[in-house]
This record gives sequence, C-alpha cells and structure tokens, in this order.
Amino acid sequence: MTVEDVMRNDKGPALMLANEAVVRGALEADVKVVAFYPGSPTSEILDTFGELKDHFGNYKMHISSNEKVALETAAGASMAGQRSFASMKSVGMNVASDSMFSIGYTGLNAGCVCLIADDPHAHSSQSEEDGRFYGEAAYVPMLEPSTAQEALDMTKWAFEVSEKHKTLVIIRTTTRVNHQRGMVTLGELNRTPFKKNKWKDIKGPYYTVGSVARALKAKLLEKKEALRKDFEKTKFNKVVPGSGNVGILTAGVCSLYVAEAKQNLGLDLPVFKLGTLFPLPEKKLSEFIKSLSTLIVVEELTPYLETRIAAIAHTANPSLNIIGKRSGHFSEMLEYNVPIVEKVLAKVMDKKISLDYDAVLKKAEKLKKILPERPPIFCPGCPHRGTLWAFRQALQQLRIRDKIVFNNDIGCYSMAFLPPNEFSDSMLAMGASLGVSAGMELALEDKVIAMVGDSTLYHAALPGIVNLIHHHSNVTLFVMDNSVTAMTGQQFNPNSPFEAGGTPARKINMEKMFEALGADKVVLVDPYETRDCVGPMKEAIQSDGFSVIISRRDCALYGDREKKKRGEKIVPSENVKDTCRAIHSCIREFYCPAITIDESDSKMVIHQDLCDGCLECRQVCPVDSPRHMEVKQ
Amino acid sequence: MKKPNGTFNIMFAGVGGQGLMLLSSILGKAAVDTGLKVMTGEQHGLSQRQGSIYVHFRVGNPISPLIPYGKADMMIAMEATEALRYIEYLKEDGVVIMSNRIMPSVNETEQVALDKEKQTKYLTVEEIEKQIRKVTKNVILLDSLELAIQAGNARTENSVLIGATAACKDFPIPAEEVRKAVLALVPPKTVKANSKAFDLGREAGSTCLGT
Repeated sequence: MTVEDVMRNDKGPALMLANEAVVRGALEADVKVVAFYPGSPTSEILDTFGELKDHFGNYKMHISSNEKVALETAAGASMAGQRSFASMKSVGMNVASDSMFSIGYTGLNAGCVCLIADDPHAHSSQSEEDGRFYGEAAYVPMLEPSTAQEALDMTKWAFEVSEKHKTLVIIRTTTRVNHQRGMVTLGELNRTPFKKNKWKDIKGPYYTVGSVARALKAKLLEKKEALRKDFEKTKFNKVVPGSGNVGILTAGVCSLYVAEAKQNLGLDLPVFKLGTLFPLPEKKLSEFIKSLSTLIVVEELTPYLETRIAAIAHTANPSLNIIGKRSGHFSEMLEYNVPIVEKVLAKVMDKKISLDYDAVLKKAEKLKKILPERPPIFCPGCPHRGTLWAFRQALQQLRIRDKIVFNNDIGCYSMAFLPPNEFSDSMLAMGASLGVSAGMELALEDKVIAMVGDSTLYHAALPGIVNLIHHHSNVTLFVMDNSVTAMTGQQFNPNSPFEAGGTPARKINMEKMFEALGADKVVLVDPYETRDCVGPMKEAIQSDGFSVIISRRDCALYGDREKKKRGEKIVPSENVKDTCRAIHSCIREFYCPAITIDESDSKMVIHQDLCDGCLECRQVCPVDSPRHMEVKQ
Repeated sequence: MKKPNGTFNIMFAGVGGQGLMLLSSILGKAAVDTGLKVMTGEQHGLSQRQGSIYVHFRVGNPISPLIPYGKADMMIAMEATEALRYIEYLKEDGVVIMSNRIMPSVNETEQVALDKEKQTKYLTVEEIEKQIRKVTKNVILLDSLELAIQAGNARTENSVLIGATAACKDFPIPAEEVRKAVLALVPPKTVKANSKAFDLGREAGSTCLGT
C-alpha cells in the first residue's frame, strides 16, 4: 500500500511501516547496491526494494543465498566505491558475523549499512537473541531507532557515519519497531544514475591477518574513540528533561513504552533516550547520571545497558541506585509493553497505576477458557501436508516409526513438529539438520533422517551434505522443494528461475547437483500425487548411503498467485457426501484448515472459499470422496 | 475524542488471509487524509494462512505501537473467535464490531470428529458473544458475508465492517473520509460493490448502537 509513499518525490508526511522507512532512508542516501536474505521481521525491507527496483533502475539488488553472502556483497560494493545496504534477522547475523568481524578490522570505503532485527518474544525466531553485543564485540558502530521516523533518519545518517569513519554501521531493531507503522516526514530524494567504478581509482587493501591485524586493531581503537566523540554530539542521543532525582535510561521501542507510561502516571522524570548502542556516549551519560540518586533502566532481553551504565556510574556516581533486571524489577524474558513498564514506574515512584492491568488480564483469561487453540498450520493446498502424510505411511508400512531419528530444519516445514506429524527430534538453525545428522549417525543404531527446504538447502545445508557424502554416512534427506522461500513471503532463491524484481535468473539444477556430489540415491516425488509418494520414499529410506527424496510442488500461495496472473481459475473441491463414510482420515491425519465437519451427519465439509483445490485430501481419503467442483455431473 | 491524551485505540483481529492488513491500511489512509496521526503495531511474520492475527491501530496522538490491556476503545473482528482471543485489550464498555463468521481451527474439528458420542460441538457465535458481553454491552454482530452478498460481491466483507465502524459516534475519522479511502484502495472493478457494502455496514452499525 505504502510502497507508493516510498517512491514519492515530495518531502511531505506519509504513514509508513518502519521497514519501508528504512528503504526510504537508504534511497534518500542514494544507495547503489543492496543485498538480503529474507527473515522476519526484516522481509518487507527486501520486498520493498524488490518492488521498486525497476521503478528507480539506479540500484542493483541481490536476494543472496544467505546472510553472510548478503553482507559480503554489501561490503564488496562498498570497497568498490558504491554505497550499499544489507538487512537480516537476528540469527542471520550469526551466519554473517564471521565476515562482519573482519570487516570491522579492514574498514570499508563507500557508506555501508547493515540492519539486524532482534525478535524479543521469539514471535518468528528460534531464540530471543540479543544482537546488541555484536557492535561492541566487533568494534562496529551500532544505532537503534524507536519509530518509523527515526528508522528513516538513522538509516540516512548511518551512511554518513559509515563513510566518514570508513566503517560498517549496524542498525539494530526489534520486531515492534520493524512492524510499526507511523508518521514520517520524507526527506529529499535525489537519486543519481548507477555508474560502475574502476578499481584502480578507488582501490584499497581490505585484508587482515597476523601483523596486519594487529596494526589494524590499534587503528580500530582510535576509530572507536573518534566515533564516540561524534556520538556524544548526535541528536539521536537525547535527554528529555524532567524534575527530581530519579531518571530513566532507555532505547528503541522501550523508550515509547516509557513515554506512554510516564503520561499515564503523570510523571515528569528525566529520560536519556539512547540512539547509539556502541560506542556509548559515556560523557553525556555520565553527565546525566551525576545528579541522580536512582536510575531506572528500561530495555528488553539482556541487561546490556544496565551493566554498561553500572560501569560508567562506578566513576561518575558510585552511590547511584540502579533499578533494572539485576534488581529484580524487570525480566529478561519476552518483550515489554506499556503495562510492564508502567507497573515498575508506579512501584518505584509510589504512584497509583492508571488501570489494574492484572485484573483485566485475569478476567480475560477466564472468559477465553472456552476458546479452542488456533496454532500455526500449513496453508490449504500446501504440498508439505501431503509429503509428510506420505512419509508417515512409509514409516508405518516399514514398521520403523520408533527406529528413526528426525532432524528438522528452518522453514514452513518446521511446523512438522506439530500434530499430526510430530517429526522433530531436533531443530536448531538454518542447515543444522545435516550437521546434527552426522553426529547422530555416528552415535545411534537408528535410521537418521534430515529435512530441509529448497532455500535452506542453498543457504547453509550444502556444507553439511558434502560432509555426509564424503564420510559415507547413512542418512536420508528430504528436500521440500516448493520453488521459493515460502515462509518469509515467497521470495526467490537459487532454486527459482527469477531474482529480485522478477528479473530472469539461473535456477540451480538440484538433481544434477546431488548426482555430481555423489548422492547414492535421488528420488523425485510430487506431493499432490500423495499415494504415489509412499513407494519411492520407502525405497530411499531403505537404501544404503546418502539418499535424497526431493518432494517438488510450488508453494500454494506462490502457485496461486502465478495462476491468477496467467488468468487460470482456482477450482475448489467438495466432499461427495454419498461416498463419504465419515472415516475422518482427512481430519485426524491431515489437518487442512479448509476442512470442517458437519455436526448433523458427522461428514466432512470443504469450505470452498478456503479450499485451494489441491485434492491432496482425496488422496488421503480411503474412499476417494473429495473431488473438484467442476467434476460435478 | 473525549480522551485525556486524545488517542483512539482500535484492535483489529482476524485470521490470516482475511485481508486485515488492507483494512488497517484503509483506516490509516482515511486518518492521515483527515490530518490525524496514526501509529500501529502489526503482526507480520510467518506468512501462513489461517493463523490468528491482529493489528494495534492508534489514532490521534499515539505514543507507542501497542495498545495497553483494557484500553482499546474499539475492536474490529473479521472472525468471531478472534474477537474473544484479544478481549484483554478492550476497555470496559468499548465497542466490538464483529463478523458472525467462524472459521474453526483444525484442533477443534478434530475434537468434534473424535467424539463418538457426538457431544462435542463447535463453539457458537452466541457463546462467544455471551463472553464478550461480560466486558461490554456495545456489541455489533454483523452477518458480514450476507451483507457483502447483498452488496453484490462476497469479497466485500471488509467494507461492511468498516462501514459499521464509521457509524460509531466516538469514531474520530469522518465517515465520508473512510468511504473515500475504501474506494481508493479496493480493486477498481469492485468500487461499486464496496461502496454499497460500506453503506450496508454503516446502516447495520447505527441500528445496532442506536445512534
């Protein structure tokens, strides 16, 4: 909706998702090369750049095979004199960090900014990782915005900081910033044409090892102090004046909860709203805490700010009473909100809370007892549902359900850990199922099975696969090939014949690749021919060595969109009640949200507005009861 | 807006794939075109369909993206069970505009199927409404699908709900601005049906609340 606002030429107000504001900021900074791997809560940054690529035509874009490649792409472009940008989710930086630490040492040339997004509450991540430590650990400056406006302004400023100090700059966000829509005043958009440079005009050494590294480290420490000096003066480290000797230190979205809680309680406490997480503006912070008796630190996840301000207070104000996580007032768990912050402020300041939030929650809890759960589930038409059903049949027929270990991986198919499948003896990180399988295969008598999607396959699974084949390991790998990176919004990946913006790209030939690597067996199945999948799956599972089952069918969301583009109709299915014998395989063993039950006769009903017409349910039905609507007479 | 800080809070609830984000965009556009400030906390992420989703929508002088518990002036639910799922956000006697539509989860369907005695039934709209009425008397229950079909297009349920929203007397955005935003953002071919759907919703909304 607001992509139109991102490309506006005027400087007026706009309502924007913070992720879109980041794109706008980078465009206003005349970014020239952008590279990404999608991941919530950052995917809309990639999607917006992709959508606008042809409109502007003056920046280059890659959806990279993983986050490390994305960051290296941005770094390479910066070395070559082009302003560049990358974004990734918290755990993505774990993948990219190997290069990030070296980039800290070598420094860069043109402005280079990388956004990383933490996910307190683990809404869509495997952990509540706190990425704030990366800045300090790698000597890379780190900024943290709180609103859409700040997201725009800081992104733009980050390019200046990067270019001035010849360093990568990281912008750290959290889910509630990325997915916050707010008012933004647009800045000037002066895009210049894309022009390639000549290496001889701009070249610089970008390597680090041994004595070179030691020399670079000394310079890096000087760079850190130069950055700190600038950060002492930036408007993004803001003191909101107030009265009394109790103050608050906060950053990011928590600063908004603090402002609202203060208003609810009628408090006038001074607040230090921090915008630079590393290096910290130590002088300005010292000044702020000097006259305080108590400092309340409001931050999600680890006590990152709390421990650092305690160190600063050690010299600036040794008697300062610090209220935070270590005092037991705040938790390291989950994400915060206004009620959490308001409760602590009310307690410390001896004020009456604006509403008894606990009573509201307690009452709601009671009222909600009648509600059935609505856990995440595969979409109607999802090929994974059929693949996993067929796999269960194969295990049942081979009588080995209790003689296998199943290593799951990251993608939509992660949901295989839920009923009715419950396949997930391990699930750690992108591509980890292969490495874990190597260890389990050494240690267990059981059959070892791993599962990855096509995007995960090319992201981080390949080294694990090469390792298994090299060691003659006895492992079966499922590749859930749905042709796109489905979970994050169906982006293209090396398994797609397209790249960002729909430009044609080369699709990696998966079967040939496995063959060339020396896989002992590769079988290809179509999950929509669900019953026919069982035989080949059994064969692959029983064969010796490294076997691969490629289950290939477009992601239903992606496939339907493509169908609509081609003008094809999506024909839903219906259950033929005369045939249906209320066996309920379609319900107990299949879990399709388009399927419900008619309470009057206990027979299955397909909701036509939800149904995708995949007819996997017909394959699962012992009496072939569901059929396409158009088959009717 | 008679609130001390001048912010009107709306909680949107629904099921993935119902078009909740479009609904929120429409109200966002209407608010901005009226000169009001907006801040939202949205749920993106897993792009799967049929999961529970919400948008915190704050208009006036919003400070933070999430509505505190018990402080939503209004809830707009495109699916009935989802209205109850986020009931902790609604203030006492806040307005609930909800579709009577229920999309049962697979877990519930399995429980109904497994009960050989046929005693386990699906949760009904009446049961849900009864619970919600323990927090507020201002419930507008709409047969949104029926009204959408009356408007000439079954896919205009969102406009029905938005029409009902605009009928509420405390709602800070003028109804005609909301209509304009609806018509600007829906597919061009469906403008007529959406306009009709908006009116039907508005009518139903004012009848329910007696405004």
